[in-house]
Amino acid sequence: MPSITITLQREKCIGCNYCADHAAEFFRMSKKDGKSNLLHSEEKRGFHTVRTSRTEALEGLESAARSCPVKIIKVSLNKR
Amino acid sequence: MNHVELMAPAGSFEALQAALDNGADSVYFGIEQLNMRAVSSINFTEEDLGEIVRRCRERGVRTYITLNTILYDHDMALMRRIVDRAAAEGVSAIIAADHAAIAYARSKGVEVHMSTQANITNAETVKFYSLFADTMVLSRELTVSQVKTIVDSIRREHILGPSGELVQVEIFAHGALCMAVSGKCYLSLHTHNSSANRGACRQNCRKKYYVTDEDGQELLIDNEYIMSPKDLCTIDILDQVLDAGVRVLKIEGRGRAADYVATTTRCYREAIDAWKEGTYSREKVEGWLEQLGTVYNRGFWNGYYLGQELGEWTEDHPGSHATQKKIYIGQGQNYFSKTGIAQFKVEAFSLSPGDEILITGPTTGAQTLTLAALMVGDQPANEARKGDQCTFPTPFKIRPSDKLYKLVEADGR
Repeated sequence: MPSITITLQREKCIGCNYCADHAAEFFRMSKKDGKSNLLHSEEKRGFHTVRTSRTEALEGLESAARSCPVKIIKVSLNKR
Repeated sequence: MNHVELMAPAGSFEALQAALDNGADSVYFGIEQLNMRAVSSINFTEEDLGEIVRRCRERGVRTYITLNTILYDHDMALMRRIVDRAAAEGVSAIIAADHAAIAYARSKGVEVHMSTQANITNAETVKFYSLFADTMVLSRELTVSQVKTIVDSIRREHILGPSGELVQVEIFAHGALCMAVSGKCYLSLHTHNSSANRGACRQNCRKKYYVTDEDGQELLIDNEYIMSPKDLCTIDILDQVLDAGVRVLKIEGRGRAADYVATTTRCYREAIDAWKEGTYSREKVEGWLEQLGTVYNRGFWNGYYLGQELGEWTEDHPGSHATQKKIYIGQGQNYFSKTGIAQFKVEAFSLSPGDEILITGPTTGAQTLTLAALMVGDQPANEARKGDQCTFPTPFKIRPSDKLYKLVEADGR
């Protein structure tokens, strides 16, 4: 099953809101500290990661990564 | 009436200490991401606030948090928390431009300073903001005579801030200027999605540009850095600025190193004191200009204060024109307090007696001295090389977090 891995290095977020606009099902701005939350992700050493089988979301996720001004979002497609 | 406040940038503990050691009356710094150097400075966290305020209070120095980006709805909780922490820790004021931050700070009794981002250019606007703020940072594009008109109006019309005192006028006295009016620039947002107004400027204006027509013909333009202004310097017109009634002078540079903060703060401290004593002179100005030229600068001009019609642009290259550069030598190891001897490990290049050195660290700040004597191991030495443990006397304590640099002419080594 193809899947997508999304990683967010949350600490460096400046709260611009682009990712939440481009991929609203995955990113939401925290009302607590104004930074982006990667929904359902697990945190390890500051990197928040989640895997999804919803490959149709790839385009939106890639544009979220592209539009991030501080380049802290990584999106990769796993073919198998 | 004659009190002049010198405000220095603190983008790190090193810079903070350098500001304190060189005569700043106040310092400004960002907490978390809601400030105009969200990306280019390390930024302190909420947990650092106590330490910053403690160090400043010991010296009677005021503390200001920059909370001056545009704010979105999702920023409100963080903005409120920063203001609450500022109140709890006894921070002197917040510098703000967004009305949400201004209103909240006022509701909590926290002093507000209007950021230059608010682009204040006349006395009526000062009157409006005086309902909320005690200090106004005026637009960087005003002339000295326009500034004087505003100050005169404040005095004549008795415009008071919430504290009950006359509103204070602050200007940018020294440091980087950008091409945009009061920093309101969208270039970085258009090219990199990276908004200057959220503290994420990518400095498009510092680049060299070529103009090419639709046939691919490159047009000659006389100046290649047409968007990169030289750095603002007012030390040579400080008498005019202070005579106009400006009472707070801000040095720009939260992204700058501790030695920059040390040198700029020291020069402006001396200049303000000279003006007060009536000893401000051309000869002294020449000395300060030479000093200011040793640290990072893009060349100097007086900004718009004397009414220039056009900006003066960076020449030759967009980076620093500093006459001095620092070469990293090594890391602090030990300090022998009884004898006043510092021990450093040389990790690069070499060190010799007579060298001008700079030692920086979070507690040490930025200290410079001429190396009088040098020992390697137990022996006096003419040179300490890479790998050597060397010792030399310093009139101040050094720490393992300290870094040692050699200061050399910018084109030498």
